[in-house]
Amino acid sequence: MKAFDTVVVGAGVIGSSVAYHLAKKGLNVAVIERGDIASGTSSSCDASLLICDKKPGIDTKLGYESIMLYKKYAQEFSYDFEFAQRGSIYVCETEQELEVAREYAKAQADDGYPMRMMDKHEIHEVEPNLADDLVGGIWTECDASATPMAVAFAFIEEAKKLGAKVFTQCPIKGIKLDEKGHVEAAITDKGEIKTKRIINCAGVWSPEVGKMVGIDIPIKPRQGQILITERTFNIVNRKIQEFGYMLSKFEDVNYTRKVSELVEKHNVAFVIEPTLSDNCIVGSCREFVGYDRKNDIEVMQALAERAIRFVPILKDVNVIRAYAGLRPWVVDHLPIVSGVEEVPGFYIAAGHEGDGISMAAITGKLMSQIVVGEETDFNIDKLSFSRFKKAKTATN
Amino acid sequence: MSAFHDDDMLVCRCEEVTVGEIKEAIRQGARDVTGIKRRTRAGMGLCQGRTCERLVQQILRQELGTVPEEIGASTPRPPVRPITFGTLAGGDSE
Ligand SMILES: Cc1cc2nc3c(=O)[nH]c(=O)nc-3n(C[C@H](O)[C@H](O)[C@H](O)COP(=O)(O)OP(=O)(O)OC[C@H]3O[C@@H](n4cnc5c(N)ncnc54)[C@H](O)[C@@H]3O)c2cc1C
Repeated sequence: MKAFDTVVVGAGVIGSSVAYHLAKKGLNVAVIERGDIASGTSSSCDASLLICDKKPGIDTKLGYESIMLYKKYAQEFSYDFEFAQRGSIYVCETEQELEVAREYAKAQADDGYPMRMMDKHEIHEVEPNLADDLVGGIWTECDASATPMAVAFAFIEEAKKLGAKVFTQCPIKGIKLDEKGHVEAAITDKGEIKTKRIINCAGVWSPEVGKMVGIDIPIKPRQGQILITERTFNIVNRKIQEFGYMLSKFEDVNYTRKVSELVEKHNVAFVIEPTLSDNCIVGSCREFVGYDRKNDIEVMQALAERAIRFVPILKDVNVIRAYAGLRPWVVDHLPIVSGVEEVPGFYIAAGHEGDGISMAAITGKLMSQIVVGEETDFNIDKLSFSRFKKAKTATN
Repeated sequence: MSAFHDDDMLVCRCEEVTVGEIKEAIRQGARDVTGIKRRTRAGMGLCQGRTCERLVQQILRQELGTVPEEIGASTPRPPVRPITFGTLAGGDSE
C-alpha cells in the first residue's frame, strides 16, 4: 500500500464525513474500515438530526451548524441521503414537565434557536394520534432527519470523487511512531500505509485504537434498543420524543417521572420517528451493558409499553424488527474533536453518544480545519482531548 | 441457476428493490447480504428477507463469483415473526 497524507480509521458517519472534508481540502486521504461502510453504530440507530435534545451552548451549536450543512449537501451531493426537514416535538406528560420544558425552550430561544412551546390543543392538531391527556410540548422548527447509512455512503461517494481511497475489511492493527513520537505509519492486514496523520473515528471502538499510541480515550458504549414497525398509514408526521428523554440522557435534569418499574429499570424514554419508507422507528433506552449488541426481551417489552402510553394506536401495529446499537458515550456528553498533544499526528473524532448522525457534518468540517491548521468555524476548546487531563488534575 | 440480466426485475417485493439496484449496491462495495440490505433495503420489509434472501445471494454470486460462505445470510433479528406492540407490552412474546 502506498503513502497517504492522512489515514481515517473507521467509516461510520463520523469517519466518512471527516474523509470527505479532508479530501475537499485537497489532502490525499485513505479510509480504512474493519468491516463494511456504516457497519458499526451508524447502522443501528435513529435517523434524527436534532437540536431539541441538546443542551444550550456548544452542544446545540454543533447540532444546528450541522443541520445547516446537511441542508446544503442534500442539494450538492449525488447520493440521496433522504434529508427531510419536518421539525420535531417534545411532548410533556404533566404540568410539572411543562414547567421544566418552558425554561429550557426559553433558554434556547434566547440564544436565537427556533424553539417555542405548543399547547395541548396545538400538539394534538399537528399529531392527532398522540394520547389525549398529554399537556403540551416544545416545537423545534429546524429539526430534520436523514438515513444514517445513506449519510455515510453519501460522504464516502463524494470523498471518492475527490480522490479518497477506501479500504473495507481492513482493520488497523497497530500504529508506528518515529523516534520523535510522531505518527509514521498505519499497520493493517493488507500491509503498511505510510502517513503523517491518523484520525481515529472508530466510535465506541476508538479506545482500542487509542491504545495503539499509548493513550487512554474515555469513551464507553451506552446501549440503545429500537423497534421497527411494519409499513403503515402515517402514525406520526415527524420526530416526537417524550420530554423525559432529557432525563434519560442527562443526570442533572431535576425531575422524576411516574413510570413502571420496567421502564425505570432500563432507562426507557419514548421516541418515535417516521422513515421515508413508511415504517416508524420506536425507541429507546440508555444502558451500560458493555459491548452487547443483542436485544433483550424485557427491554423490548418496556419500549412497547412506553410507546403505547404516548401513541395508543400503536397497540395494534406490528413490530417487524428490533435491533440494538452502542452509543459512544463521554462523561460530559460532548464529543472529542481534537488533536492529541502527546502524539503529534494523531487526532480523535469520536464520542458523539446519541448525536453522531446530527453532528457528523460539522464534525468533519471542524476536523479538516484542525488538520490543516486553519481557525475553526467557532471555538471548540470544550471538545479538546486535553480536557480530560485537566479534569484529572483538578480532582487530584 | 438462471442469470439475472433484466435490471428491472423485482427482487425484494416488500421494499420494491430491483436487480439493477442490487447490482449498483455491489458496484458501491457491497460484498454480502447485509451490505446489500444496508444500501438498498432489500430484506427489510414485512417478510424480513424470507422471500428474497436467496435471490440476493444468487445475484451476489453471479456478480462477484464468490462461494456461498463468503456471501453470508443477514443477521437474524427478533421478533421471529411480526408481533403487535400490544402483545409485546403485555409481556407475551415468542
Ligand atoms: C439506538 C440509537 C439511536 C440513535 N439515534 C440517533 C439519532 O437519532 N440521531 C443522532 O444524531 N444520533 C443517534 N445515535 C447516535 C449515533 O448513531 C452515533 O453517535 C454515531 O453512529 C456514531 O458514529 P461513529 O462514526 O462515531 O461510529 P460508528 O458508526 O460505530 O463507526 C465506527 C467505525 O469504526 C470501525 N472500526 C472499529 N475498530 C476499527 C479498527 N480497528 N480498524 C478499522 N475500523 C474500525 C467500525 O467497524 C465502525 O464502522 C443513536 C444511537 C443509538 C445506539
